[in-house]
Amino acid sequence: MQDFCNLTEHQLDALGELGNIGSGNAATALAQFLNRKIDMDVPKAKILQVETIPELIGGHEASVMGIYLRVMGDFKGRFLLLMPESTTIRLLHILIPGSTVKRPEDLSEMESSCLKEIGNILAGSFLNALSVVTRTTMLHSLPTMAFDMAGALLDAVASEMLATSEHVLMIETSFKDDMENLKMHIFLLPEPESLGSLLEFLGVK
Amino acid sequence: MPQKYCVGMAELRIARAPDTLATYGIGSCVIVVMYDELQKLGGIVHIVLPDSTGISVDKVNPRKFADTAVPLLFQTMLHTGAVKKHLRVKLVGGAEMFPPSGDGFSSCIGAKNIECTRNALRDLGIPVVSQDVGGKSGRSLEFNLENGRVSVSVLGKESKEI
Repeated sequence: MQDFCNLTEHQLDALGELGNIGSGNAATALAQFLNRKIDMDVPKAKILQVETIPELIGGHEASVMGIYLRVMGDFKGRFLLLMPESTTIRLLHILIPGSTVKRPEDLSEMESSCLKEIGNILAGSFLNALSVVTRTTMLHSLPTMAFDMAGALLDAVASEMLATSEHVLMIETSFKDDMENLKMHIFLLPEPESLGSLLEFLGVK
Repeated sequence: MPQKYCVGMAELRIARAPDTLATYGIGSCVIVVMYDELQKLGGIVHIVLPDSTGISVDKVNPRKFADTAVPLLFQTMLHTGAVKKHLRVKLVGGAEMFPPSGDGFSSCIGAKNIECTRNALRDLGIPVVSQDVGGKSGRSLEFNLENGRVSVSVLGKESKEI
């Protein structure tokens, strides 16, 4: 198993490029689904202490919607979509005509399943692109979802990856649309044991 | 001037009155709050995983695993001047943040963390006097070293004392 901390700048760039391909595809899918323009930040691959991740999205206690899927197959990892309360509500108002929901705590079954479907579409399109580029099979689980403190959601997702390392490798990007500011963050966390084969596919092992 | 210290994942911290120890955004992790009331001396360890068995010793961060973190907190408390028979513990955390997905995967890491932490405390013979564990919600806590009170808050609700 390769330790994340030994990754070179060159390898991180290659992983970031992989994130670029995945996010580009995911942004296109979201834009089509919502029928509006979606802008994307340049994705970055970073080695981070899990501790510091919540700072990227407003702190440990920031209330966020988390939609989480596991990636299985030749490549293993975790895919997490985090969106602030405001994005969650706006998305639902766009997607479900007549929805009057005001708080993420009060979602109907229809509204929950609509958000999970967004997770499904983003994860599916992101991983599909990666799968084509790396010629590996990537499958993902059904999405599961929770609205809570950012820190608590992240420790639940990442804890099992921390057995032998203090760090996680994270490919991160954010989306927004300038009309309604639909901000959201995508995190892909490869399992440590999948890193070697990922680098090999990229030709930067 | 009383200070407030935050204890992050896999960290251990000891403090005395009038300071406060705090941890924010706890999910499946378990926080062991240990207190010697007579000396107004307390400590927190922020446990991430249940069991270090099978991981080579040079790679183990002992503050990360329940089986190693609990004895380490205990020893550190004793070295700092705590007396074993005065020690009391409160437990917080160990939630399952995400419900099982439709295809059935779930980790139960929160429940395992709680179980292993309790086992380690029982082996040391230190009583757990109160707790707020399990469930589905993330938590934050503040531990007042002046009186040993631990206030726990979850999103959208008033904080409560345990």
